[in-house]
Amino acid sequence: MKVNKSVWGFLAIIFILLLVACSNEETATDKEETDNSTTKSTEPADPFGKYEETITIAIGQEVDPSDTSLQDGDTPLDNQYTRHVMENLNIEVEHAFTASPSNYDQKVSLAIASNDLPDAMVVGPVELRQMVEADQIADLTEVYENYASPAIKEIIDSSNGVALDSVTFDGKIMALPNSQAGADGVHNLWIRQDWLDKLGLEPPETIEELKEVAKAFVEQDPDGNGADDTIGLAGPDTSNKLYANFIESTNNLYGFDGIFSALHAYPGYWLEGDDGSPVYGSILPETKEALEVLREMYSEGLIDPEMGVREDSGESIISGNTGMFFGPFWMPYGPLTDAVKTNPDANWQSYALPLDSNGEYTPHLSTTTTQFVVVRKDYEHPEAAMKILNNLLANESEFDPSIGGPGYYPLRLVYAPADEMEVTTVALREVLAGTKQPEDFYDMPAYKLLKSDVDTIFDVKLEPYDNMAIQYWDIENHLGQWTRAYSALVGTAPLVDTEINGVKSLIYSQTKTMEDRWVNLKKLEDETFLKIIMGTEPLDSFDQFVEDWKQQGGEQITNEVAEAVQ
Amino acid sequence: MRTKGFAKHYYFMLAPGFVWLILFSIVPMFGIVIAFQNYNPGQGVFGSEFIGLETFKYMFTLNDTMNVFYNTIFIAIMKIIGNLIVPLVFALMLNEVRYMGLKRSIQTIVYLPHFLSWVILGGVLLDIFAYQGPVNQMLGAFGVDPVLFFGRADLFPFLVIGSDIWKEFGFNTIIYLAALTGINPALYEAAGIDGANRLKMLWHVTLPGIRTTAVLLAVLSLGNVLNAGFDQIFNLYNPLVYSTGDIIDTWVYRAGLLNLQYELATAVGLLKSVVGFILISLSYYLAYKFTNYRIF
Repeated sequence: MKVNKSVWGFLAIIFILLLVACSNEETATDKEETDNSTTKSTEPADPFGKYEETITIAIGQEVDPSDTSLQDGDTPLDNQYTRHVMENLNIEVEHAFTASPSNYDQKVSLAIASNDLPDAMVVGPVELRQMVEADQIADLTEVYENYASPAIKEIIDSSNGVALDSVTFDGKIMALPNSQAGADGVHNLWIRQDWLDKLGLEPPETIEELKEVAKAFVEQDPDGNGADDTIGLAGPDTSNKLYANFIESTNNLYGFDGIFSALHAYPGYWLEGDDGSPVYGSILPETKEALEVLREMYSEGLIDPEMGVREDSGESIISGNTGMFFGPFWMPYGPLTDAVKTNPDANWQSYALPLDSNGEYTPHLSTTTTQFVVVRKDYEHPEAAMKILNNLLANESEFDPSIGGPGYYPLRLVYAPADEMEVTTVALREVLAGTKQPEDFYDMPAYKLLKSDVDTIFDVKLEPYDNMAIQYWDIENHLGQWTRAYSALVGTAPLVDTEINGVKSLIYSQTKTMEDRWVNLKKLEDETFLKIIMGTEPLDSFDQFVEDWKQQGGEQITNEVAEAVQ
Repeated sequence: MRTKGFAKHYYFMLAPGFVWLILFSIVPMFGIVIAFQNYNPGQGVFGSEFIGLETFKYMFTLNDTMNVFYNTIFIAIMKIIGNLIVPLVFALMLNEVRYMGLKRSIQTIVYLPHFLSWVILGGVLLDIFAYQGPVNQMLGAFGVDPVLFFGRADLFPFLVIGSDIWKEFGFNTIIYLAALTGINPALYEAAGIDGANRLKMLWHVTLPGIRTTAVLLAVLSLGNVLNAGFDQIFNLYNPLVYSTGDIIDTWVYRAGLLNLQYELATAVGLLKSVVGFILISLSYYLAYKFTNYRIF
């Protein structure tokens, strides 16, 4: 008996301890909340106003562990950007959490699910919707109206209301939208020009020619090392997609976007059907045809045999095994920098290819707004997030990316006029050709990097100024500027020189039923298509997929999209 | 032993484990409610709308549900069987090695992988079985075309099972070896005098001697019948092998944490617990019936 009593007493003590621990926490947060509601911001509405007393903002931030750009002694919390924010705005940035790029979304989801939110963070459209419904984030209508700098308002307005529409729920602005260059959403063909030249080939204009080039790259040992180790066309790795879709319409690396588009297949996009009503591109016969083409290419070994399994398809680009891939204009910011460092002869050029059967370039186009800054409800300085963004846009050209990449700027959103890259490319060409002087471009504040671009172009570009081959660049002199200039003069050039008959999705956001059903439909789609291409399932499983897709909520979603479009 | 001097310090030593159990195993059980709610993280478990069995109905319309259950049970049971038999056989063979130094070194080498996490081993395995990795180069020497091992849905479960056994068998071997040293040498001498050869000794002395250990390990591992190894599979799989490699835990992880489908993830998790509970009770009963062995 005595023993039993002691056991129960012991248990009781543990329970009490637990209860005390829990309730302590609760009272603490209660207190905090009352504090917050009593303090009202008394700052005058100045978009760049410096706080009199230092305030802190705890943010969630993406930190790439393989990014070594920070100069010695700097940390993700103490670098040129955070010091700039501190000096100009008197805002101290803290980390509520950090995560590597591949884990960031997961960290955000975890924060939402546990209702343990940072003061502010960058999220995608799906998470934004979720947080609005959970009533977790602050209404930023007043913040945007009173504190957004004129430059940001100008850029956001240039999207014809798309940017603001995507953050407006019940008439309230619930997040700060980004607005990015349209070039992010076009996936060009990047190709090893030196391999083409060596094998006496031309850039492939059609799908057929693309196959021939890929075959030559695989079989004719273009790198001349005597080993059978070359890949014709790269395929998506585990963190990328077969094609960009309506929710994530930009920056898909190593996908097959170019091949789908050339065949007028737009999987993942909402298109106007023959009868005028919306239809989902992935279930159309064109997509099946495109899958058949890809399936043949894969079985002939023209596509990376390890697609879909690789952790990072960029590795084989860096190591010089890959001959072609699809990606946006900024690939020099991606693997190409390391690729040319490894092999200075790797002459990566970009083309608006392959063309469709009429000889036209018909890529899918993106929306301008894909990322959002949200502020936790009850955070006492919601305008601080807006000020941090104002500060970025106003001063971006002052920062030197070679002592800390732009990703280290807290709450960084891209603000760029839709034609930023095209304008940059044209400007650089004119300066190189001598038809204009750098000074002619100084007065274009919305194009925030243009001034530094035109000022430094002669540091990295060698003569002849109209030949963009890799040997006519001085990479060593200023790697950061080379990255930028190469992205413009090589990566964006096809967008300037080609007439683009692009296709837009009818919508770029989720509907109600999608919240519950989309994930599983998407999984069904991704799995089926990947297996069809890699030959583990017959091509006709596509028909079964279409049926399943409609049955498991696709039909209902299509109706919702029809309503949303009207 | 007298109960009067009640050993309070035992209970103090028990306390950390007990707190852990309550915090991480008992308190979270109340989260089951989420499966019956339209869960809204902003309002929490208490404020969310109650929707009854709707999530469960949706769950059973999904192709995935039965698939992940089947995968989980298949992989888990194969792992349990493999992890019982392989170390047992290995321990018996090692026990016959007479040279102590050799025995010790082998023992140490085979249980080293046990201490590596799947994050590391996952990377190593992916490289070893890569398209141009050592295994494919070896196959190539025999004229076999390279195989994309981790992209083949038919091979994936066996790679998972095989690599798990390879990682863990050394550790279980040690437990068996310890049990083997516990057998009274006099029994072997007596058997030898009675004219038993090595094989007969193995059958009549060694195996009965470690039967309790084997059953104990088996019963304990039954608790894992629905845990097919999240960290291992998570580090090895990709969308190509979802059809045979996706298990309940990885599925719940993707649904709940990546895709914010809290209700669905909780519902599947709950179903897993219910099925797991039934299976464990059943196997515990069977273990008692056949070997008269019980934990409680």
